[in-house]
Amino acid sequence: MKQEAKTMNDAAKNDKKSVLLQMKHLWMTQPIFSTGIALLIMVLLQTLALGFDYPSFGAWFMAWFQNWLNILRNNAGIGIIALGMTFVIISGGIDLAVGSTLVGIGAVMMVMIDSGPKGILLNMGITGVPAYVIGILCGLLFGVGLGEITGLFITKGKIPPFIATLGTMKIIRSVTQHFMQGYTPTVPRPFLQIASFRIGGQLVMPIIYWILIAAILYVISKRTTFGRYVFAIGSNERTTRLSGVNVNKVKRQVYALMGLLVGIAAVIQVARIGSMDYANAGSGYELDAIAAVIVGGTSMSGGRGSIGGTVLGMLIIAVMNNLLNLLGVPPFLREAFKGAIVIAAVLLQRKEEE
Amino acid sequence: MKLEMRNIVKAFGTNLVLKNVDFSLQGGEICALLGENGAGKSTLMNILGGVLPNDSGDIIIDGEKVHFLKPADSIHAGIGFIHQELNLVNDLMIYENMFIGRELKTRRGFLDIEQMCKETQEVFKRMDIDLNPKTMVRDLDASYKQIVEIARALMMNASIIIMDEPTTSLTDPEIDRVFEMMRNLQKQNVGIVFISHKLKEVMQVCTRYTVLRDGNMVALGDVKDVTIDELAKYMVGHDVRTEALQHDRSTGNVVLRVESLESNAQFRDISFSVKQGEVLGITGLLGDGRSELFHTIFGFSHKKYSGNIFIEEKPVKITSTMQALKLGIGYVPRNRKENGIIKDMNIIENGSIVTWPKLLKLGLIDHIRQNEEFYAQVDRLKIKMGKATDLIGSLSGGNQQKIVLAKWLSANPKVLILDNPTQGVDVGAKEEIYDIILKLADLGIAIIVLSSEAHEIIRTCDRALVMYHGQIMGELVGQQMNEQDIMRLATGGSLNETGGKDDERRSEE
Repeated sequence: MKQEAKTMNDAAKNDKKSVLLQMKHLWMTQPIFSTGIALLIMVLLQTLALGFDYPSFGAWFMAWFQNWLNILRNNAGIGIIALGMTFVIISGGIDLAVGSTLVGIGAVMMVMIDSGPKGILLNMGITGVPAYVIGILCGLLFGVGLGEITGLFITKGKIPPFIATLGTMKIIRSVTQHFMQGYTPTVPRPFLQIASFRIGGQLVMPIIYWILIAAILYVISKRTTFGRYVFAIGSNERTTRLSGVNVNKVKRQVYALMGLLVGIAAVIQVARIGSMDYANAGSGYELDAIAAVIVGGTSMSGGRGSIGGTVLGMLIIAVMNNLLNLLGVPPFLREAFKGAIVIAAVLLQRKEEE
Repeated sequence: MKLEMRNIVKAFGTNLVLKNVDFSLQGGEICALLGENGAGKSTLMNILGGVLPNDSGDIIIDGEKVHFLKPADSIHAGIGFIHQELNLVNDLMIYENMFIGRELKTRRGFLDIEQMCKETQEVFKRMDIDLNPKTMVRDLDASYKQIVEIARALMMNASIIIMDEPTTSLTDPEIDRVFEMMRNLQKQNVGIVFISHKLKEVMQVCTRYTVLRDGNMVALGDVKDVTIDELAKYMVGHDVRTEALQHDRSTGNVVLRVESLESNAQFRDISFSVKQGEVLGITGLLGDGRSELFHTIFGFSHKKYSGNIFIEEKPVKITSTMQALKLGIGYVPRNRKENGIIKDMNIIENGSIVTWPKLLKLGLIDHIRQNEEFYAQVDRLKIKMGKATDLIGSLSGGNQQKIVLAKWLSANPKVLILDNPTQGVDVGAKEEIYDIILKLADLGIAIIVLSSEAHEIIRTCDRALVMYHGQIMGELVGQQMNEQDIMRLATGGSLNETGGKDDERRSEE
């Protein structure tokens, strides 16, 4: 009997050891695993910080749930941009212009759907849903167009992505500010429904868009030629070109996709707020999006990364912000934590063995 | 100064690269160090330059044993190593390059530009060179860059200078300039080691020669007592398996034909054709322009070309790899790591990237068909591997190369170009790849093998074109192919020339 118990004990010990080994293996080989664990810890801390001082479990759960909806809703815009940034960074590039592009697209869209006397579509006699659809399409097309132009600078002009998008970042915001001087378009109320339509009494539309887009992009990244070419180009552009792939076209498409996603983020932003501050809206988005991508385990040098990782990375940053808020950390200090977590994430991620 | 290297042995892992090699050099000599790729020349010189440690053996300078643990030790002992890839910073001026890492300073801690220029000027004077020390290195031509490197070595009191294939990237007048420089130094009692493949140049400039083959020293002597033919024979030896595998295959229509193709300075006047089921070899030495030629034919080069390319006798203008793929051209590049594999992707993706556009179902890559096609190639090429979803790096070099081959076979090419197909694979895998090449030819694919290993060409090809300096020097068919003739054409000679020492000497003087 004793003997048997002992062997069973041993077996259990071995089991434990192998589970630990497996965890270690996953940690070393799957960047998304360590990201997931980091998120779990964050969520745990955040739940503790929220406290359990509620009359009933139901009340506690509602508070917890509302808090989560807030987090997701507030980060849906940057979350969507970060998804596009994932493709850009995996392809070996970077896009600094997303914040400015957001403002530019927002302006185009609002000028189209303006319900004031200057509204373009209104003056053409188009109102209501058709006007919104046309307005949104114009905005998205504008985003795709800007992305294509950026892509041309990078591929045909052979300008490094950092420089090319630094340039377009400055140009787009400045031109937008100039032309929108002294003109405040009025966003028609029904348009706001795009973001504020309630399901079950909750404001969840931005979250739904985010999840939907993440799912679509996940499939694109895994199962389409475009998605796989992006990884191949980021890992070894020469080999990819020597495999008969039109590398320049794929790169242009990457920036066009980025423009499209920024366009969607712009629609959500305009629909949530009903206006746009051309000088400040979207500023810093590029760095927040890049931070989410990096925390999500995507390699800055390209070739490695995942959409799932970026979603987790975005959530880590979002939950941490929420946590700092709950703990009452002064606002000026919060950015420091964001910086620290980016550095920590990259320190923890597996290092390339040369 | 007298240098002696005795019984030098060096192994990389289990691979014995130098087996008891002796080498000696005296001031005032220009000694050619000859041998095929992989004979051990570079390893021997890297040992002398302190870049690699030797496993056993002695280096003796003026009767004293020395030990080089790092390049600085070797420089200190008076040895200057001019590497093939020059070690100059293009964006600095000549004098800055001369003093990089040991800049002269004034008493106040600023750079003493005047003194540095003066000392540079003095070395140039000694070398009979008229160069302004404040010229940007970027603005110098390749020969002057070479000369600046030599000047730097001399400034550090080098009395032995190793030059690793200094002429590969030089034009003829530039080569003459460097040779003049070498003779000038010889008069000043500097010893020079001249590593080269180009036997004609060796005959022109060297006084002595040492030949390495497979890590052994096989011949040495005075250049005046030897002919180009003899040197070529020493280099290739007789013990290489060179019997042709098969040369009586029936061939079909012409698949690829090229007419007077030319691209500035890289290759010129290239005309050839290749038929279905034929294996055409293209050989030459490093820097002969054959890779550039086929980069152009495959649409990989951005440079403009003139001349005509015909696929199945239809004229085509190829400007992108995508187009080449559509026309039925496949290209297995050289330098697998840089050009052949995508290291962050798994085995099956590396083997299927070419065919993805054909595997789409509702816009998505059909994984079932991808697996079918891939495993068909794996069986065909007998690839040994673990899971298809493992990273490509988990495979041996030979199997990686077969995956690259599989990638192109799945595209059903009409003509398949293989650039150095056995680079970095072991002997067994080499033979397997030769077998695959012949089997593919039997299936009616036109095959072009690019290789600088003559015996590889002889073993696999029906016909060989030999290139030198971007031109086709001659064609050898079937039984005509032999290593001596290939070596002679590849070093700039011609088939009907006797290549004797007397002719060389006479044209010299």
